[in-house]
Amino acid sequence: MNTTAHRHEVPDDPLGAIDYCFDQGWTDGLPVVPPEAGRVAAMLAFEGRPPETVIAEHPATGLRLTVESLAANAVMAGCKPEYLPVLVAAFEAMNEPDFNFHGSCASTGGSAPLLIVSGPAVEELGLNSGVNLFGPGNRANATIGRAVRLALLNVFKMIPGISDKSTQGHPGKFSFCIGERADRSPWPRLCEALDYPEGVSSVTVYAGAGFVNLENHGANTPEMLCDSFADGMANYGCISKGETVLVVSPEHAKIIGDAGWSREQTQAYLFERARRTVGQLQAIGKYHQREHERGQKLGADDAEHIHRGLTPDDILIVVGGGDAGGHSAFIPSWSRTRGSLRQSKPIGVCLDC
Amino acid sequence: MFEQLGKRAVVLCTHPFEVTANNIAATMGLPGYPFVMVEHPIGSRTLAEIKERAEDAYQQALPILLD
Amino acid sequence: MQLIDPTGTSSERRLARAAPLDKLDGAVIGLLNNNKVNADVLLRETAALFEARHGCSVIEMRHKMNASAPAPSDKIEDLAAHADFLITAMGD
Repeated sequence: MNTTAHRHEVPDDPLGAIDYCFDQGWTDGLPVVPPEAGRVAAMLAFEGRPPETVIAEHPATGLRLTVESLAANAVMAGCKPEYLPVLVAAFEAMNEPDFNFHGSCASTGGSAPLLIVSGPAVEELGLNSGVNLFGPGNRANATIGRAVRLALLNVFKMIPGISDKSTQGHPGKFSFCIGERADRSPWPRLCEALDYPEGVSSVTVYAGAGFVNLENHGANTPEMLCDSFADGMANYGCISKGETVLVVSPEHAKIIGDAGWSREQTQAYLFERARRTVGQLQAIGKYHQREHERGQKLGADDAEHIHRGLTPDDILIVVGGGDAGGHSAFIPSWSRTRGSLRQSKPIGVCLDC
Repeated sequence: MFEQLGKRAVVLCTHPFEVTANNIAATMGLPGYPFVMVEHPIGSRTLAEIKERAEDAYQQALPILLD
Repeated sequence: MQLIDPTGTSSERRLARAAPLDKLDGAVIGLLNNNKVNADVLLRETAALFEARHGCSVIEMRHKMNASAPAPSDKIEDLAAHADFLITAMGD
């Protein structure tokens, strides 16, 4: 097999090899599975291209991620070989210039790439889209998200305190990967909304800041519910011209779906209400005249109001979470302007080839 | 990087970003690249405070441009 | 056992510095703003000292639309073509 990576000979002692990985500085602070050559080769069997194929390149430093390096990091994260295509697609998405993965990984804003997988891959890989969606307990979610972080640390050298200047970071920087819950969604799946061919799954990557719980157990109309969502989206600490990810719980999705609201209608309603006045933002020191002028020029804002984002399409709505509970989630964008825009890629296929 | 085009650059950087700046420069094959270090933060400072930082930056920039 | 190094290949970039200026008097200054709050003010104030003390002139400030991404190469080339040296900023 044609490989480019350096190899390390270590004694046949798995526990010692775990310590060796710690000593090399290859971990996220937790123990890793040693990237043993056989396991990496098994992982590579799930990618058709040669190991030295470059998937992503750091725009500032020129550091490159090859399929082989990604497979080694995936083994360390604890991934099954069949998860590799999700990781390849995720880094292809992050390599799009508009995602700006250097900025989103280096910034004081402390974001993490949120991966949202949609389509048959959710079931095939056993990704959790239900109860405890963002929490621990599921191998696919935990290890795919962790592999992204390990590759950022090991290959792209996004080292905390050196090249990663996150003021506080957030727990999603260990792992931040969810499946879309199609069986409780009133709307087409994300992969369908993206117009991918029937049967093709997708991964959407979004530079997400910390997690905002949108709790409402009393609402029984879409208006009541979406008014509380919009308030969270426009809270002083989060409002910006960036994008939005809204992960709607099944209970909340049912209220909106039963009223017959489409995804587009919901987006439009939220966009209209997730806003602040110029005076309010001036009072807290967060008014940026140039952003406001741009918003007005694009028809998003009027003279008095500043909306979150630039258009209703900036709000990505996806269903996820357990059957019970009035808890949805708002994930603010890392970027306060348009510094990183979410990107989607099909998993395991090349639609342009 | 601007200097590849044949012109010197004065890169202002606040202290918390010093390690980051040095790291990027080293990765790109320019270890020890001289940055102008200014006091952090900039965003919330008055004009008078920014003028002080500008004077400081000017003094540090002279050798970067001429040496 | 054999472990595959997960850190990948190192960067192949080896950049070099430009030659220093012979003199500052009358030099043309380019400004590249990273669009962080007040960065433009700091750049202008720093340039103003070169104007006052060395008779430098300043061409119109260029703006990076995104503080956290490298500037597009056309903006950089444009600045290099018209200025004798550049003042820019990184970080907050």
